Amino acid sequence: MENPNEHIDFLESGPLAPLKKWSAKWSLWPCHFITSCCGVELAHAFACGYDGERLGTLNLGISRQSNFIIIEGTITRKMARALKFVYGQMPDPKFVNVIGACGERGGIFWNSYNITHPSDIVPVDFFIPGCPVTPESLLRGVRALQDKIMGVDKKTIEFKKVELPFEEKLEERMVPTSPKIYAPTPEIKVDVKRVVDWDFGKELEHTLRKELKGLFESITITGTNTIAIRTTPESLMEVARKLKGQMNFDHVKSVNVIEVPHERKYIVEYMASSYSVEELMPVLITIFTEIGIKNPKIQSLMSVWEGANYSERELHEFFGVWFEGNDWMGKKFLLAPDTPDLPLRKEFKIPEDRYVFEKDVEPEFMVPIEPPKDLYTPIWEEFIEEAYDSDEIVVPIGPHHPGSGHLRVTFRIKGDRIVDALPEPGFVHRSMEKLAENKLYIQNIPLFERLAINDPVNMNLAYVRTVENALGIEVPERAQYLRTILAELSRIEAFYYDAGIFSLFFGHTTGFMYCMAIREMIIEPLMHISGSRCGPSFIVPGGLRRDISDDVLGMIDNITFAIHKRAKKFESIFVTNPVTIARAKGVGVLAKEDAIRCGMVGPFLRASGVNYDVRKVAPYEAYDKLDWEVTTGDDGDCLGRFLGRLEEIRESVKIVKQGVDVVKGIKGPILSEDILGEYKEASSDIKGNFFRVFGNIVLPKGEWTTITEAARGTTLFTINSDGESNVPYRVRVMSPCWMNLKGFMEAVKGERYADFWAVYGSFGYFPPEADR
Amino acid sequence: MIDISGLISTIMNNSVNIPLLYVIYEFLLKIPVLGGIVAFLLDFSILGMPVVKSIIGFVLWKPFFTLIIIPGFATLGTMLLVLPWLERKLVGRMQWRVGPREIEPYTRGSIQLLADTFRFLFQEVIIHKDAHKHYFLQFPFLYFIPVLLPLLFINAGAAGHPLVPIQTDYALQIMIALVSLMPVFIIGAAWAANNRFSFIGAVREAFMYFAYEIPFIIAVLAMIVLYGTSNTAEVISGVNQSSWLNWGIILNPFAALTFFIAMAMATSRLPFDIPEADQEVAFGPFVEYTGIVFGLAYIMAYEKAYVLAAIMTMLFFGGGSGPVIPYLGELSYGIWFVVKTLIILLVLVNLRGVYPRYRIDQALSIGWGAMLTLALFALVWSVVVVVVIGVII
Amino acid sequence: MKKVGTPEYDLSDKLKYHVSALSTAAKEMALPLNITTHYPRERKRQPDCFRGYMLFDPERCISCFQCSFVCPANAIWMKDAPSGRYYPTVDYGKCIFCHFCIDSCPGGALRTTKIHDVAYKTMDEMFTSTEEMIEPPEIIREDVGVVDYVIDKEDLSLKRTKEKDELIVDVEPSQGVPMVSVCVDRGSCLACKVCDMICESGAVSSVVDEAAMTVKMAIDAEKCTGCGLCVKECSMQILRLVRK
Repeated sequence: MENPNEHIDFLESGPLAPLKKWSAKWSLWPCHFITSCCGVELAHAFACGYDGERLGTLNLGISRQSNFIIIEGTITRKMARALKFVYGQMPDPKFVNVIGACGERGGIFWNSYNITHPSDIVPVDFFIPGCPVTPESLLRGVRALQDKIMGVDKKTIEFKKVELPFEEKLEERMVPTSPKIYAPTPEIKVDVKRVVDWDFGKELEHTLRKELKGLFESITITGTNTIAIRTTPESLMEVARKLKGQMNFDHVKSVNVIEVPHERKYIVEYMASSYSVEELMPVLITIFTEIGIKNPKIQSLMSVWEGANYSERELHEFFGVWFEGNDWMGKKFLLAPDTPDLPLRKEFKIPEDRYVFEKDVEPEFMVPIEPPKDLYTPIWEEFIEEAYDSDEIVVPIGPHHPGSGHLRVTFRIKGDRIVDALPEPGFVHRSMEKLAENKLYIQNIPLFERLAINDPVNMNLAYVRTVENALGIEVPERAQYLRTILAELSRIEAFYYDAGIFSLFFGHTTGFMYCMAIREMIIEPLMHISGSRCGPSFIVPGGLRRDISDDVLGMIDNITFAIHKRAKKFESIFVTNPVTIARAKGVGVLAKEDAIRCGMVGPFLRASGVNYDVRKVAPYEAYDKLDWEVTTGDDGDCLGRFLGRLEEIRESVKIVKQGVDVVKGIKGPILSEDILGEYKEASSDIKGNFFRVFGNIVLPKGEWTTITEAARGTTLFTINSDGESNVPYRVRVMSPCWMNLKGFMEAVKGERYADFWAVYGSFGYFPPEADR
Repeated sequence: MIDISGLISTIMNNSVNIPLLYVIYEFLLKIPVLGGIVAFLLDFSILGMPVVKSIIGFVLWKPFFTLIIIPGFATLGTMLLVLPWLERKLVGRMQWRVGPREIEPYTRGSIQLLADTFRFLFQEVIIHKDAHKHYFLQFPFLYFIPVLLPLLFINAGAAGHPLVPIQTDYALQIMIALVSLMPVFIIGAAWAANNRFSFIGAVREAFMYFAYEIPFIIAVLAMIVLYGTSNTAEVISGVNQSSWLNWGIILNPFAALTFFIAMAMATSRLPFDIPEADQEVAFGPFVEYTGIVFGLAYIMAYEKAYVLAAIMTMLFFGGGSGPVIPYLGELSYGIWFVVKTLIILLVLVNLRGVYPRYRIDQALSIGWGAMLTLALFALVWSVVVVVVIGVII
Repeated sequence: MKKVGTPEYDLSDKLKYHVSALSTAAKEMALPLNITTHYPRERKRQPDCFRGYMLFDPERCISCFQCSFVCPANAIWMKDAPSGRYYPTVDYGKCIFCHFCIDSCPGGALRTTKIHDVAYKTMDEMFTSTEEMIEPPEIIREDVGVVDYVIDKEDLSLKRTKEKDELIVDVEPSQGVPMVSVCVDRGSCLACKVCDMICESGAVSSVVDEAAMTVKMAIDAEKCTGCGLCVKECSMQILRLVRK
């Protein structure tokens, strides 16, 4: 960056300078380059709630037509190349604003192995703090940039310095050490036996022992609905075949690798469950085996459970475990070419937290990160060569494309038909699993919330439930209902976001705006409750951070009525629009068998006709006490998936309405006494005691798995604890979008080129959630 | 020796008659000092030629007035500045928001398009390595030929008062021929850009071109049959369109519908913005264009829309016919014409807020199926109407 | 279980829904349900619990480091003041506004404001020292009105008031449970003096037991602020926090 103000200098030059500056000021067109989750707030800033177009700032076209990049949060190593490209393609004069803490000093991902600092890559005009930023601060950034263009040098914030109190000089004090405790040789055990009252489990264990005779080393009940089968690497495949063939465990919910370096071993585990047998639905069977740390090779179970495919590729990159039979071994899938190798191994250390300024040392606020030097982004050569040999064309979409989001898909198109689609996730891979291993249990709450900030409560809940499950905490009744209400509000919010994107992908901006207006309405109570628009971090182990007042509950109650007016408008202008029906009906069909085979989750599975919803299958919070129905469909096409979710919104509204009615009658604490310990005063507001209560949570030894129904489907959290450390040993997140990627790609094949966006929108694919 | 006075009288005899000017003139003369100046200015002459008078006369000279002011360049230019702004405002309103507003707040954002234009003008124009440099730059400019030439045949007047630069019996045919030429330039520009998306966009444009062109021509043909002429000056007075009961849209609504849908397809407006589909091919043919060249490409569709809307006003909405506004004389026809055209354009651009986008194959089947049927029916209907009117009269 | 089917349109349905879409659009154009906040000229009123920039009250700070320990983004680093005490500093280039720190602060020294719309030219400015956190900062205010979202049973509507929203929230600072550190097993004390060295309130002193020829540590319950650092650092783990 020779002269970061080059563009401003250009505007200052020549006799037409005033006109140049004036026109640039009022015509800052940001390009469609969404880099991470702050894109949700960008959408709000330019939707009807704040309408950035008032300031002459219009989202139109791609880099060539625009003159402004708003970097929304994290720039991963993969995205850094795209950023360089986009900036280079843009005509001068051009401007860059960075929104969100991740793009500045890294925010919550500051020590991640896969992020870069945008300021090292492009010259940045303004940095806007927040995580996610509010639309107001985003527009403040635009205003500040307008002022800068006009040559006005004004600070947006002026601090007043005040002398600190000085009574007497203390002698030099010792500096406290880190609050984190790492066990030196943690004992990792996946199958810790637990005595639970689960009759069906005992029966199942018996059946398993009979069916798998000679193939297992041990079968252990590790908790309600979880059974662990220890086996050998050789018989892993046979166990899986048997489970699928004889026992109807037809899909895999999670694939996990745990590295235990001091015991020189990897634990490889597959978690299977069933969509076809009703009583097996809540059961999670973990089959695991141990392999040596040297030359780790294991049979891929892709041929048994196709849904394991992408997860195996991912774990291969993380740990170097070679899944024989998976054709992507040795290639990059999620990570960039210059990401450190095998980053999830324990020997790969990430920077440690610091708590004090060291004396006489120039503080280094930012972890220096070498930005990628080249612009090399591999596209698979065999894929292209094959296409060029036939009469197909190769079209890569994304990550910088008005209709791509942060995902790249490379198509082979014959005529107008998509022959093959090659997904390339990882543009928003912020390495949450690694970061979680270096954070206190409580610090992981905001971290995992960033999986999907348009569905924050469910992500938050999914993690907290896993911790609660491990600690055996019973949540007070009032908190249960409040959590249910919040989770359903979050679900509505997420579905409207997806519906908005769906309509935008059809070129229907009005539908998008209407959805964002409804979201704005739902965000309002969330803000009154937690103080944050998209990152409430409100659910904590044992309950909630503070009680919710009756005023806000009244507001939520009003919303359950008020939402219908605007929802109806959305319906008549977009949902029933004959063009929408024509575009979405019969497109991207995913048959029931395919959906099960690919291990789809959530509304997308239900749209294909499988009656599976964790809220009914293994009810949590207050779901079993409320009256609602699971929504399914038979068509499995884009329209079915879309209408199914609209129907689920209606069910969610029903749940919220009932929940509010019930919760008004329940008085009591919102935090469990089990976790509060002696801080009983905090049972309705944690303020003042937060760290004392949650700072030193240690989970009992073993593996803890919980499934939760987030908006886009089943979210699975697996936490491995050694029983001594107050940080997790390993956290495995299987987010719904990651599970759905396989089915999404299946549904695209054979459709027309333009149908990709119909399918994309109908799956509500949210890349930050998938890439983790 | 040129006969100046003869020339002036020729010009004066063939000028737009605006009584308001005389009223203003009379009024000005009554003001003490100003009146003197005005009188002096109007009488001031060099070599026996009254300068100011001749300038005013020349501006109002019909061939000049029609070509440059209404319905010619000035109207087109104003439309190009106002229409995208109105579109953004109205669609914004429909979408529960505001649209451009903060730019010089007292203008309420109405000069937004000026800022955008100047910004494009001062921006770098990038010609990327793979592009065919000459064609890449030439096509957006060449595109103006088929857009500007049809302006010569647009009649903004009403029955008996044509406001058209060139009167010819083949006016409609020439206009259609020129309009049909436009996609060629878009496809050329897309080819020159040498980009995957512009390639897909070009192919889509070509497909769409065939799908709408035939129903479009048949629809116009139906109207030619109905009016018995293709001279734009006579079309207006053909079936006495001065009464709205005799407007083309009443006589042959099927042709009007076909024409309107074809217009949406031809100008790539939603639900048919398939060649330029933002989310699919990122502006398709224009994906690589930057700066003012993109600005030109961006307004291309609006220019085309203006020409087509003008044809639609002439054929279906009685051209400039409407109640004569006192004092404005012949200018009132022009104003009615512009107002009608603007309304058609607004309906057209606001479709953006109502409809999502069709897929290419669906649009083609609409073009070759429903629209073609409708167009043929419109043609038959025209014949029937002509026969019926012939019998009645 | 509810089944959702996908509709099949015939020609009359198509016409009906075309008309309904067009008429909705026309209705919205005539009487829009506008919800736009004209941001620089007006602000949306945020609730008092809004999570924005933080203010710090050194009088209430007991230097317990909890804000720094709990920060998920490691944005809070403690800096020693001239007096030798440690006070928090916030790096807004990292802060994610989760306000775990405010909820952790046992003395209520940290509190929230509604300031959030800020843009910085350089990242160095984003670091906010303790001295800058005491008085409320000035931000550019272009607003002349406030917008409230009113949600009734009918719809969401906007209430516009011509006033400047007060961004500094006046809420009662939280009071954590007052605690004090006690030694539960004096016999195991090694007198390593870690507790003494870490204590900023001077509550720990060494007591020499002449008879047994040993040195033991004693905590003055009056002086102890209950910051809990000694409990955390004690090498023998014999200190406990108990209620005052």
